[in-house]
Amino acid sequence: MPSSATEYSATAWTHFRRPCNAGEFPAGTAGVLSGEAGARQHGRAVAFQLQVTAGGRVADCRYRVYGCPATIALCSLTSEALKGRPLAAATAFSVVALAEQLGLPAAKRSAALTVEDAIRSAAGRYNSSG
Amino acid sequence: MSHKVIYLDYAATTPVDPRVAEKMAGCLTCEGMFANPASAHAPGRAARGAVEQARSQVAALVGAEPGEIIFTSGATESDNLAIKGAMHFYKGKGRHLVTSRIEHKAVLDTCKQLERDGFEVTWLKPDADGLIQPSMVEQALRPDTVLVSIMHVNNEIGTLNDIAAIGRITRERGVLFHVDAAQSAGKLPIDLKTLLVDLMSFSGHKVYGPKGIGALYVRREPRVQLDPLIHGGGHEHGLRSGTLATHQIVGMGAAFDLARQELAQEAPQLRALRERLWQALHVAIPRALLNGHPSQRVCGILNVAFPGIEGESLLFACEALAVSSGSACTSADRQPSFVLRALGRDDQLAGSSIRFSIGRFSTAAEVDAAASIVSEEYHRLLDLAPTG
Repeated sequence: MPSSATEYSATAWTHFRRPCNAGEFPAGTAGVLSGEAGARQHGRAVAFQLQVTAGGRVADCRYRVYGCPATIALCSLTSEALKGRPLAAATAFSVVALAEQLGLPAAKRSAALTVEDAIRSAAGRYNSSG
Repeated sequence: MSHKVIYLDYAATTPVDPRVAEKMAGCLTCEGMFANPASAHAPGRAARGAVEQARSQVAALVGAEPGEIIFTSGATESDNLAIKGAMHFYKGKGRHLVTSRIEHKAVLDTCKQLERDGFEVTWLKPDADGLIQPSMVEQALRPDTVLVSIMHVNNEIGTLNDIAAIGRITRERGVLFHVDAAQSAGKLPIDLKTLLVDLMSFSGHKVYGPKGIGALYVRREPRVQLDPLIHGGGHEHGLRSGTLATHQIVGMGAAFDLARQELAQEAPQLRALRERLWQALHVAIPRALLNGHPSQRVCGILNVAFPGIEGESLLFACEALAVSSGSACTSADRQPSFVLRALGRDDQLAGSSIRFSIGRFSTAAEVDAAASIVSEEYHRLLDLAPTG
């Protein structure tokens, strides 16, 4: 498909077609923080989960995503990138910078912001409960 | 098709039929009819003969007289010539025209330009099935209405307007009637001897002919007059100057001739394949919704909304298919299909709609494979999405 060839890098395309860590943690899994951002009626909705260790590091991630290929690819790539990071670093992680590295079209930057918002919403629950 | 991709985008364009390509090739080189059809010498006369044969072939498909066919560069130019040409020629009579919100862009943008030029346009909204009812047209007519322009078949959803009934209304009221028939010519019978249509646009490349060639039917009795868009050597009765592109014209003629011969056999085949595809999709995805009237539609076009998933992702995930989306999501400004929005579909459904268009070279195996691919990718994306 020409659009995939012209607009998406091989990495982004691979993560769109075969996203990593998709889904959600089983109910009752310890240390899981959940956050959401976006809305279907606006074309994009992300629900992101961070599993945080007692030491405050991101052990694993899950997400559910409704959106364009860029949104799906960014959820997948970010879920990999956050593993092992301290929660503060995860909160500060720039999905926008990741989108730029991937060469995503400028029109897709808002997808990165939605993923960031979902992560910060999840991380914010740790802060508020801690 | 010989490619891995399954081509189901025949409403966008068709491949040139090999039988057409062969005829076109005979008009290009020294051994063929390359000469200028306007030239008086023998090679020129031969080329002119080929052009006139093609004109007869185009006319024969739609029940017109050869002299009523004007060759253009495509349906877009035909629409421009018909609408601007009529409005400018008859501006002494009035400055009002009627069209619908779901016309092809070639009509919409032409009418918008006329608005900028001081003409008045009434934009009809289709009913929930995507049809422009004759009564809607009747109610929109005014004493100063010059022209009504309504498409025969909608290019996105395939719905079929009752141009016979609309023509009876416009003729009775002394208003000209233009029909964009780019999606209907060769797909269903058209008889301009009985239809009260004054101007009709055709495309070569939607009928297995080449791109870059089209035609406009201009009724002679009662006579319709137009201001030309292009001035020059006075070709095509002064309506479309420019050296005639013999190979393109011969290609369009051959394509329309094949369509005339094969329509009766081909249309039921396309309809059966379209129904096969819809049934397979509907069984696999019961939530899928048909866009447009269930039966008043052309044989080859199926437009389906897939609730619960995002349209661009579905389209891209189905990379093994060449189909069209109901939205232009790749642009910075998300613009769901204006046609589907006019039908009352919300942005999400309009954005998650796919147009499948089946054609001469489509097979049952391709249709079955397409349904499987869409179903698999739809359910994968649905599983990925948040609940609610």
